[in-house]
Amino acid sequence: MYFKGINSYGDRGMILDFGDDSSKSISLEVNKAFSTISNLGLPILNIIPSFNKIVIIFENSQIRDQNKEKITLEISEIKSQSHKSANKTWKIPACYDESFALDLKLIQKLHQITKEEIINLHTSESYYTYYIGFMPGFPYLGDISSQLITPRLATPRIKIPARSIGIAKNHTCIYPKISPGGWNIIGQIPFDIFDLQNPSPSLFLPGDKVSFYSVNQKEFQQIQKKHFSINELIKEYSS
Amino acid sequence: MNSLAITRTGTHLTVQDFGRFHYQHLGVSPSGAMDQRIIKELEKIIPLHHNQFIEFAYVGPSIKVKEGSVKVCVGGNCNMNIQKNNGTQIICQPYKSINLFEGDELNIHNTIDSVYGYIAVEHGLGLDPCLKSFSTDTKAGIGSINRPLKVDDTFEILEDVSSWDHLSIPNPAYKKETNFKVYPGPQLQFFTDQALQSFISSTFTISAQSDRMGIRLKGEAILSSESHDILSEGILPGSIQVPSDGQPIVLMRDIPCTGGYPKIAILNEEDISKISQLPPGSQITFDLQTIY
Repeated sequence: MYFKGINSYGDRGMILDFGDDSSKSISLEVNKAFSTISNLGLPILNIIPSFNKIVIIFENSQIRDQNKEKITLEISEIKSQSHKSANKTWKIPACYDESFALDLKLIQKLHQITKEEIINLHTSESYYTYYIGFMPGFPYLGDISSQLITPRLATPRIKIPARSIGIAKNHTCIYPKISPGGWNIIGQIPFDIFDLQNPSPSLFLPGDKVSFYSVNQKEFQQIQKKHFSINELIKEYSS
Repeated sequence: MNSLAITRTGTHLTVQDFGRFHYQHLGVSPSGAMDQRIIKELEKIIPLHHNQFIEFAYVGPSIKVKEGSVKVCVGGNCNMNIQKNNGTQIICQPYKSINLFEGDELNIHNTIDSVYGYIAVEHGLGLDPCLKSFSTDTKAGIGSINRPLKVDDTFEILEDVSSWDHLSIPNPAYKKETNFKVYPGPQLQFFTDQALQSFISSTFTISAQSDRMGIRLKGEAILSSESHDILSEGILPGSIQVPSDGQPIVLMRDIPCTGGYPKIAILNEEDISKISQLPPGSQITFDLQTIY
């Protein structure tokens, strides 16, 4: 158990503390707590998991205080429960062509490895979705191979193309739409991962497993042309 | 059919409501009206607002009835007039219902000694919700209308005005607050007693680089004794975060959903609305409450 306790965060918020470190085992506990609390039917306005914290906001302080004990109790019981995970396992096509991989050369130089080795290293791991944040639908995935660990760009880009795959420190990500950002860009995926028309708008959810497989330009364009909806993507690329 | 068009945008014109909830774990900010007190007041005059309010900052818009008639009410501190179809001009007041007929144009001038104002329209603006809310987050491109409003944006209002009776409430005339009670933020312990002392004893000036995402403050640098770079975690509106330059930022309605700066303190919900109304150059102080 990493859970340390609950603190108030403002007049109607609380923050659940799982320590100061970040690891997959901490995140597993965080995301179990996240899905357990989300399914309790409590009058919660927003519940936001991250690496080692969960922030919850209620309508007012009275409702927050009424629910504190129940949440504490539920979390302490999580360990003994067999947890049914609704999480998906994704296999996502990725094109690592130079036209998309804006920082591939930089990474090759930094780690003294070839383009093929970078692709092999990035596609051989199954990543864990720590949480979604920074912008709508943006997944923090990890951990990447220690041979790929790269610091953020010294000067962030003003415009990163939508659907770009990035790496920074020990994480990898996908930019759902065009954005400024400091991750090293190594490829692109051929579809959108956030759709406002869908009641469940984000393709990835905290706790999902994600791996990438390499496709060439031609295959990339063929998939791109299909303009898959979120529901079609679920059928096509997850299990 | 009744329709209403924007004929002059003023500044920062967006559609807002009480906020978009249940999506922050997917990176979607809560958004919503910067001053929630005002739209709650407007509810008393236009109960059938359908959660579709027009928000403006500093300079109000002009709206013109293209077809039929509509009933509206303006909230906030501002001067305005109606340019009637027949050429006459009528001065009107906030917090009083206004009946507008075909060809009438409502001109809202600048907000007085405040920032935000609102228009409620009976039966709403004929919009569909986006992720269960009508609010606009222009940075994320999310909303019933996912951008600021512009000239010629036209709203079709299917239902007719329910009653021409004039309704009004006293102008709440909110007192301008400059001293804010704040409560401990999740990283309060990152700041030494000395840093906390300067946080509560010094005066901060609201910078012109403030917007719906955050109010930037200028003043004595507040430095963390640990780090200004923490593991990103969920953040709530009202949080006062301190980046490495020591100049605090009060996070407002269009917050980034997670953030990696230490948060020294947080404002109450009511005070988020209050602080939103302070124009750049306003001087404020904080009073840290140790017990919540």
